[in-house]
Amino acid sequence: MCATLRHRGPDDEGVHTDADSGVSIGARRLAIMDLPGGHQPLCNEDGTVWVAFNGEIYNHRKLRDDLRRRGHTFSTNADTEVLVHLYEEYGEAMVHALEGMFAFAVWDQRAARLLLARDRFGEKPLFLHEHDGELLFASELTSLLQVRPSLRELDPYAVDAFFVFAYVPGPGTIVSGVRQLQPGHLLSWKRGAASSRERSWWTPPQVGVRRSESFASVAAEAKLLLDESVRTRMVADVPVGVFLSGGVDSTLVAATAAEASSQRLKTFTVGYDTGAVNETERARAVAERLQSEHHEVTLTQDDVAERAPAVLAALDQPLADRAAIPLHTLSEFARPRVTVALGGEGADELFGGYPRYRWLERARRLQSALPDVAVRSLAGALRQSAKLGPIERASTRLAPTPVLERNLDWVTSERRHRREALYGPRLMKLDRGRVLANLATRAGELDGGTAARWLMHLDQVHYLPDDVLVKTDRASMLVSLEIRTAFLHAGLAELAGSLDTSMHLAGAGKALVHAMLPADIIPTTRFARYRKTAFRVPAAEWLRGPLAPVLRRQLERGTIYSEGFFDRRAAERLVGEHAAATHDHSDQLWPLLSFGLWADRFHGLDEA
Amino acid sequence: MGSMRPDGPRPGARPRLLIVTPDFPPAPGGIQVVAHRLAAGIVGMEIEVIAPDSPGAAQFDAASGLRVRRVRGGGALRGGRNALLNFAALAHALRFRPDVTLSAHIVASPAAAAIRRLLGARTVQYFHAEEIGAKPRLADFAARHADDSIAVSAYTAGLIADVAPSARRVHVIANGADIPVDPSPRPVDRPTIVTIARVEERYKGHDVMVRALALVLAKVPDAQWVVIGDGSLRPGLEQLARSYGVADAVRFLGAVRDDERDAWLARAHVLAMPSRLPAGQFAGEGFGIAYLEAAAYGKPVVAGNVGGAVDAVADGETGLLVDPNDPLAVAEAITRLLCDGELAARLGAAGQARAQQHAWPKVVERVEALLLAGLGSSSSGQAPAPEAGRPNR
Repeated sequence: MCATLRHRGPDDEGVHTDADSGVSIGARRLAIMDLPGGHQPLCNEDGTVWVAFNGEIYNHRKLRDDLRRRGHTFSTNADTEVLVHLYEEYGEAMVHALEGMFAFAVWDQRAARLLLARDRFGEKPLFLHEHDGELLFASELTSLLQVRPSLRELDPYAVDAFFVFAYVPGPGTIVSGVRQLQPGHLLSWKRGAASSRERSWWTPPQVGVRRSESFASVAAEAKLLLDESVRTRMVADVPVGVFLSGGVDSTLVAATAAEASSQRLKTFTVGYDTGAVNETERARAVAERLQSEHHEVTLTQDDVAERAPAVLAALDQPLADRAAIPLHTLSEFARPRVTVALGGEGADELFGGYPRYRWLERARRLQSALPDVAVRSLAGALRQSAKLGPIERASTRLAPTPVLERNLDWVTSERRHRREALYGPRLMKLDRGRVLANLATRAGELDGGTAARWLMHLDQVHYLPDDVLVKTDRASMLVSLEIRTAFLHAGLAELAGSLDTSMHLAGAGKALVHAMLPADIIPTTRFARYRKTAFRVPAAEWLRGPLAPVLRRQLERGTIYSEGFFDRRAAERLVGEHAAATHDHSDQLWPLLSFGLWADRFHGLDEA
Repeated sequence: MGSMRPDGPRPGARPRLLIVTPDFPPAPGGIQVVAHRLAAGIVGMEIEVIAPDSPGAAQFDAASGLRVRRVRGGGALRGGRNALLNFAALAHALRFRPDVTLSAHIVASPAAAAIRRLLGARTVQYFHAEEIGAKPRLADFAARHADDSIAVSAYTAGLIADVAPSARRVHVIANGADIPVDPSPRPVDRPTIVTIARVEERYKGHDVMVRALALVLAKVPDAQWVVIGDGSLRPGLEQLARSYGVADAVRFLGAVRDDERDAWLARAHVLAMPSRLPAGQFAGEGFGIAYLEAAAYGKPVVAGNVGGAVDAVADGETGLLVDPNDPLAVAEAITRLLCDGELAARLGAAGQARAQQHAWPKVVERVEALLLAGLGSSSSGQAPAPEAGRPNR
C-alpha cells in the first residue's frame, strides 16, 4: 500500500506490524521537519504506542516543551513524535491541543485500540473501509483499492453527485465500499469490537450574533490571530514561500508573511498565454510593494495539452476544479526553490468572500417582503427579456425556489438540470433528487440565522474540504510540495464564525480581510475594486485549443461513454457547439473531461 | 482651570461628594461594584450619585438608602446615554454644589471638568483599563482635567502614562473584595471550575476556557465549568462548547443574584478567568475583581499573566498565572488545582489572607483620604498622596 503513496512522501517509508493483534500501520514521508529523524511509524519509550502521521503540526515545538516538562522523553525532533506523547498524556482529547493539518493513526497496543483522527477543516485526507470488524485505512483511495481490489466498484450516486458538484462530496467516495473520515472527526476501533466509534471533535461554529463590539476591535483580533497563524506556518527546516495570485487573500498572506520573515520572502505566481484573465500583473505589483523575490511561470497552451490530461487522470478521486491545473503548474515550478508554500485558501468561505452570499440573502429578504406572485412575475419578466447569459442567470437566481436550491444551481452552473440530456443508461435510472436531499442533510437547519451564514457554513463543510482542499493537497502533493493554508486556523475560524454576517458582507464583502490588509499594499486605483481571482482559469479557450484533441479522443474511446455512464451523442453535440464557439459549454465539458480521464485510468488499472 | 473656588467646605458640614458614573447596580459588572462600594462606604462626606436608569433601579435605590439620581433616556446609543448623563450631572451639580466630583469612568469626565471649571470642585478620575484603549483621547482629556487620578492597578497606571503623559498625580488603588460572612466551602458533587464575568468582551477568555475544558476533561472527566454572567457573546460561546463536544460539562447560568454567585464561589474548586490583552490598542483587564472575590472564599484562581490580573493574583501564592492565549497552559493549571488538593488549599488560604487586606472598607478608606486631600487648602494640590494601594506581591 505504501508504494502507491510514493509521491506524497518520497523521502522515506516504514511499516510497523503488531503480530499479536494483526494490526499494521505504515507511512511514507515528505521530510519537512527533522529531516533525518522523522522516520515513521514512531513509537513511545516502551513501544506500546505507535503513530503513523500525514501532515504538519504547527505548534509541535511548544507541545514538545510542555510534554518534556511533564517528563516525556523525545528521541527525535520530528512533529510525529509529539503525537505519541500527546496521546499518552491526553488520550483522544489530544486533538484539541493540535494546531495543524493532519490525518493520523495511533495504535495503542495495551488497550488494543486504534485511533484515527482528521484535522478540523479536512486538509489532509483519510480513507476507510470497514467490514466485519476489519478496518483498512489510507491517505489515498488508490492505495486502499490496491490492497482490496474487490472494492473497485464505482458508486453511480457518487458519479451523479460528482457531475453536479464537480467534486465528490464526503463522507462518501467515488466507490461504494470506501468512505472518508470527516473533517474534525475521530474514529476509535477496537480489536474484536463489532464496529468502530466515530465522533465529531470540532465543527466550524456558525452563530452570527449582533454584538456591541466594534469592527475595529474584531479586525485587530483577527489580524493578531492571522499573524500567529502565518508565524507558526513559516516554521520549517526547509525554504518556505507564498503563492501569490494577486487577489486580496493571497496578498494579505504574503504581506503578513513578509512582516513575519527575517529573510526576503519568495513569492510565486502563474499566468496564461491565452484568455482575458491574467493576474500576473497584479501579483507582480504586490510583490514589488513587498520587495519579495518574485517568480512567475506561464502555463502555455502547449503545456496544458500535456499537463491537464496527466493531472486529471492522476488525481486520487475525480475532481473537476479547473484551478487544479495552474496550481499543479505553480507547485511544480516552485518545488526546486521551496518545499513549503503558504496559500490563501479558505478565506472566501470563512470571511464571506463569495458575492452570492449577499445576493441570496437579499433575494431571500426580497422574497419574504414581497408576495409570491410578485417575485414570480419579476423573475418571469427577467427571463422573458433574457437575451444574454448573465441576465438569464440572474433571473434564475431570483426565482422563488428555496435558498439551498438556488445556491446549488448558482455554484454548479445548473448542471443538475443538464443531467437528463447527458446521462447514459448507467445513470439514467437514479433518483435525481438524491443530490439535493443529501446536500440538505449536510446543510442542516437554517436555524433562525441569516441565509448568508447558513451558506457560509455549508461551504465550510462541503465545498471547502471536498473541493478546495482536495485540489490544494493533491495538486501540490503530486509534485511533493506542501501548501499550508494561513486562514485555516482554529481561532480565526471560530472568530469568523461568531460574527454577524453583516460584518463580513459589509462593503464589497470579505470586509475583515480588507481591514487586515496593510493600507498601502493595493497599488493603484486600478486595483481598487479587487474582484475574486484565485488563479482564474481560461478553461473555455483550452477546451477549444490544446484540449480539443483530448476531448475528441475521449468521445472515441472514453470508458465513461463505453461503460454507459454518459451519452456519447449528447456529449458530441456539446463538444461541437463549444468548438464552433457558438456556446461556452466548459461548465459541462470540464467535469466530463476530468471524470473521463480519471475513469480511464481507474478502469485501466482494473485490467492490469 | 485656575478658577476661583467660590465657596469651600462650610465649617462643621461634611464635604459634598458627587459621584458621576455610567455604571451602577443593579446592572452587573466590576465598575458598578466599585462605584457602589464607594457610595455606600464613604462616611465622612455627603454623597449623591448620578447614574443611568436601568431595570430594577428604583427598587434597588430604595433598598440601598443611597441618594442616587437616575438619568433616563438617551436612546439605544451609548453615546446618547453618556451625553445625557453629563448634562444631568452638570445641572445637578449647580444645585448640589459638590466640593469633590468623583468621575467613575472617563465618559463622565466632561461633566467633571465642567463642574471643576464652574464651581471649582476638586475632581478625581477613576481609570479601569479597557476604556483607555478604546477612547485614548477622552482618557487623555480626563487625566488632564482631574486633580488626581486613581488607577485600579499598576497596569492601568501604565496605560494612563501611555495616552496621557501630562496626567497629574496618578495613584494606584486596587479594587476591593467583599469579605463573606461565612466563607466556608459548600459541598458540590463534581469538580467545579467557575468563571464570573460578563460575556461581552472577548478578552475575558471564555473561548480559551472552552478549548481548555476539552483537555481538562481528559484528566478530570467529571469536571464541570460554571459560567456566571451574560452578554452578547453567550450564544456563540454556547455553540463553541457544542462544537468542541464539551457542552455537557458546561453550565451557563447567565446573570445571577449576588447570593447565588456567592453560593457558587463557596462550592467551586477553582475560579478561572484567563483574561488576555486584546489586539490593537485595546486594553483588557484592569484588575479583575472576580479574582479577589474568589480568593475571599479561599479559592485558588487561574488567570492570565498579563494586564491587571498580575496585580490581583500573586503567581504561585494565591493562584496560577498562565499564558491566556494558550489553552493547554490554562488546562494544565486548572487540572493541577483540581487534582492537587493540597496545592489548591494552600493557594486558597493565601488568597483569603490577601483578600482581607483588600476588603472594601480598607479600599474605601484610601479613596476617601484621596478625595478629601487638598480640601480646605489651596486647590494647587500639595496634599500628601494617600498610601498607594499597590497590592502586596
